[in-house]
Amino acid sequence: MSFRSTKVLRVAAEEWRALVRNRVAMIASLTLTALIVTSAILGMEQRNATKAARARYQATSDEAFDAQPDRHPHRMVHYGQFVFRPLSALAFFDPGVDGFTGNTVFLEGHRQNSANFSEARQSSLLLRFGQLTPAFVLQTLAPLLIVFLAFGAVSREREQGTLRLLLAQGLRPSELAAGKLSAYVGVVAAIAAPALLVLAAAALAGQAPPVPSLLMVSGYLVYLSIWAVAALLVSLLVRRARDALIVLVAAWMGVVILAPRILPELAVARIPTPTRIETDVAIHHALKQIGDSHNPDDPYFSEFKAKTLAQYGVEKVEDLPVQWAGLVGMEGERLTSGLFDRYAREAFAREAEQNRLVRQFGVISPLIAVRQLSMSLAATDTESHQDFLEQVERHRYHFVQALNLLQVTKIPNRNAGADPRISAAHWKTLPSFTYREPNVLQLAGDRIRANLLILVCWLAALLAGCGLAARRLGEVAR
Amino acid sequence: MNAWKADLRLLFRAPLSAGALLLLLIVTALSVAAGLAATARQEAIIERVEAAQRRDLASVTRDYGKPDGDAGNAAYYTFHLTTDPPSPLAFAALGQRDVQPYVLRVRLLGLQSQLYESETLNPELALPGAFDFAFVLIYLAPLVIIALMHDLVSGEREAGRLRLLVSLPASGRGVWVRRSVLRYLLVLGALLVPLVMGAAISRAPVAGTFAIALAAALYVAFWLGLALLVAARGRSSAANGATLIGCWIVLTLLAPALANAVLSRAIPVAKGIDLTLAQRERVHRAWDIPKEETFRPFFVKHPEWRDTPPVLGRFHWKWYYAMHEVGDDGVAAEVADYRQSLTAREVWTARLGWVLPAAAVQTILHRAADSDLLAHLAYQGSIERFHTRLRDFYYPYMFHERPFQQADFEQMPRYQPRPSSASLPISPMIGLLVLAALVSGAAVTGVRTLSSSAARE
Repeated sequence: MSFRSTKVLRVAAEEWRALVRNRVAMIASLTLTALIVTSAILGMEQRNATKAARARYQATSDEAFDAQPDRHPHRMVHYGQFVFRPLSALAFFDPGVDGFTGNTVFLEGHRQNSANFSEARQSSLLLRFGQLTPAFVLQTLAPLLIVFLAFGAVSREREQGTLRLLLAQGLRPSELAAGKLSAYVGVVAAIAAPALLVLAAAALAGQAPPVPSLLMVSGYLVYLSIWAVAALLVSLLVRRARDALIVLVAAWMGVVILAPRILPELAVARIPTPTRIETDVAIHHALKQIGDSHNPDDPYFSEFKAKTLAQYGVEKVEDLPVQWAGLVGMEGERLTSGLFDRYAREAFAREAEQNRLVRQFGVISPLIAVRQLSMSLAATDTESHQDFLEQVERHRYHFVQALNLLQVTKIPNRNAGADPRISAAHWKTLPSFTYREPNVLQLAGDRIRANLLILVCWLAALLAGCGLAARRLGEVAR
Repeated sequence: MNAWKADLRLLFRAPLSAGALLLLLIVTALSVAAGLAATARQEAIIERVEAAQRRDLASVTRDYGKPDGDAGNAAYYTFHLTTDPPSPLAFAALGQRDVQPYVLRVRLLGLQSQLYESETLNPELALPGAFDFAFVLIYLAPLVIIALMHDLVSGEREAGRLRLLVSLPASGRGVWVRRSVLRYLLVLGALLVPLVMGAAISRAPVAGTFAIALAAALYVAFWLGLALLVAARGRSSAANGATLIGCWIVLTLLAPALANAVLSRAIPVAKGIDLTLAQRERVHRAWDIPKEETFRPFFVKHPEWRDTPPVLGRFHWKWYYAMHEVGDDGVAAEVADYRQSLTAREVWTARLGWVLPAAAVQTILHRAADSDLLAHLAYQGSIERFHTRLRDFYYPYMFHERPFQQADFEQMPRYQPRPSSASLPISPMIGLLVLAALVSGAAVTGVRTLSSSAARE
């Protein structure tokens, strides 16, 4: 080991000794550790309970569907299916927007229902203080702890006069900075360790996907390092320890508490979204523009009729070998679903635009970048929810059309009687919803990369700043 | 009076104090402006929806307002708009208005399958919470107080003036009280001036504004007392600052989050899904059972229709809507249960106010602004009453087989926004008062012992 690195390590060891002797620092660190571990265990328990509850609901609802008696297929189109969104594996670590999105969707014909019963709508306003999860602790509280541990790293030495002494004894400013830096890299590692262990244990136990877990750990390590290096930088620059603390706490407030709340205001003010009712009215209007299946003179459906008759080579709808009303129903469903898709895509695009506006500020608030990264990796971000809604809508379409097809083929076209029904055995042949969990690395690859890049750039810039500040420190001491 | 002026000058000469106060004033003003903008946006959205609704109703009237029009068709295709405009004080505490729908259309069909429909919502924007007066008061005001107070005593000791200060005869005795009261009034002024201006702009009721101001005064008193208590213990500025920030984390971030986790486990609310599933079963089963079975409970509730002709064919609108009403009534117990557990969460949060000042302020502000879960339940209740009015309106047409014509569309009931359910929750207010009094009392005692011990130093 070279002489130079020994000196760096000596500085780091000294800093560690001072930290360990500081009772408040130790208590705070242990509390934080306890919080991360407790919230992870509670989160895991909660996730399992929620997952089981949703799976149970899904099973009972699917059984109820299969157990329906003989009916006209169109009755089943409106009896509908319930779909429950299963929680992702890493939701125990970062539940993301899960509490704010509904997780229950009712599927029926010619309607696109919303996802209902979100936790936020059913909770008192306590929920808005934040959810106690490992992500919350790491994103919000851990930076503050780091700031409190590191704000006096250099400024206190300067205040107590030991700085001049150290430099006079031949310690280079860069060595001092490197030593302090290594000490706080150690602090970051110690703070992140419980979270890291929890994630590693979860991944090993098959409770969490390994690669996203690993990326999650790296993201948080970089994020916490940003705070440590920022604290060191301020400590290098500012004359008094107290001022360093004020600057850092103010930065924490702006970056972690204020910015995330102010930016959404900006986004909704800039990019307004139509309400569900307006969308419903617009879809209804657009449908009427296309055609009215109940109107015998309607151009669209007259053409559809002509085409269908030609396809079966018959003259009148009464001569069709299949049920005409069912065919009209299928065509109607095709039209409405096309419109639903179009409006849903527009709504998603607007949401994406709003979110983009907020996420752009990840450049000034690393919290926004790490929050986004963490939610993406946990599959609890807006995009994962949208992916779920898209899967649900695809399923709705297939399920409704399968029922319509049963009407077309199983209900006689003529003389079906007053109350035509088909056998209940058919309900079991219909698909029930199976959720394909998105591969987050594919679904959110770009965002994961971009946010990691932002975080790494922050770290690099702050490190460069520390280098410059250390050089200045040397000049001042001389 | 001179001593007050001198202390005021001292306070504003310190860049940290002056900066913190100015920042608080600016941020409060911004939050009030943001709150006013948010409520104005909600009102604009309601207007937009009303316009869309008028267009839709006009087209339904055209299609179904025939001379031989059928009330069943009209009821099936007519959506009725209900709205829940923000209260005049909602700007100060937006509460749940970002996640709860404040416009909802209902039809004559079963209400329980329509009531929980959600609005278009960007969850990522709702996640961090609103930027409003309540946020500034609960989270940021304590930080400003910490900045102003943490070196109140230690700053004097570190500057070597402490002994001199406490040994001064007249003005010295009351120095801590004077300086604390000064800071208290300035912090409260920075909070209340923008609030009162916002209240004046939105023509808020005086009583509600006063309740919010009172809660703010007590909350600030609590934090100031806590800060004074810590300052009087005679440790260094840095140690005081760290202790107070620790208190802030526990009281505004940690304890409420922990309490929420406990509450959501202790009072589960899956019943919402249960009742929707149960209602669906009841409504759809009606297609497979004899119609008399549906009509039996219906006629018990509506004896006035008992003697109308029975439904013989496969379908009649009056049977269809009766089946929906019976479906709703069948889950009445589940609905009551569901609301009960939602209310219980709210009640426990209010009780928490006895130990958690942040929870008390949260409860008081949002209750006064009528923007909490209880407000939404009141909205749902008013929709329910409106739905009953709809039934009373449509049923005579169906049971008397009267045609439903163009003119009848104009007779349809219109939803009138519910009266405000705002109230002044006494219990969290008393809780807050007790907490503030306890802490302030302890602080005054602490300061007294400090002064005498400092004089002996």
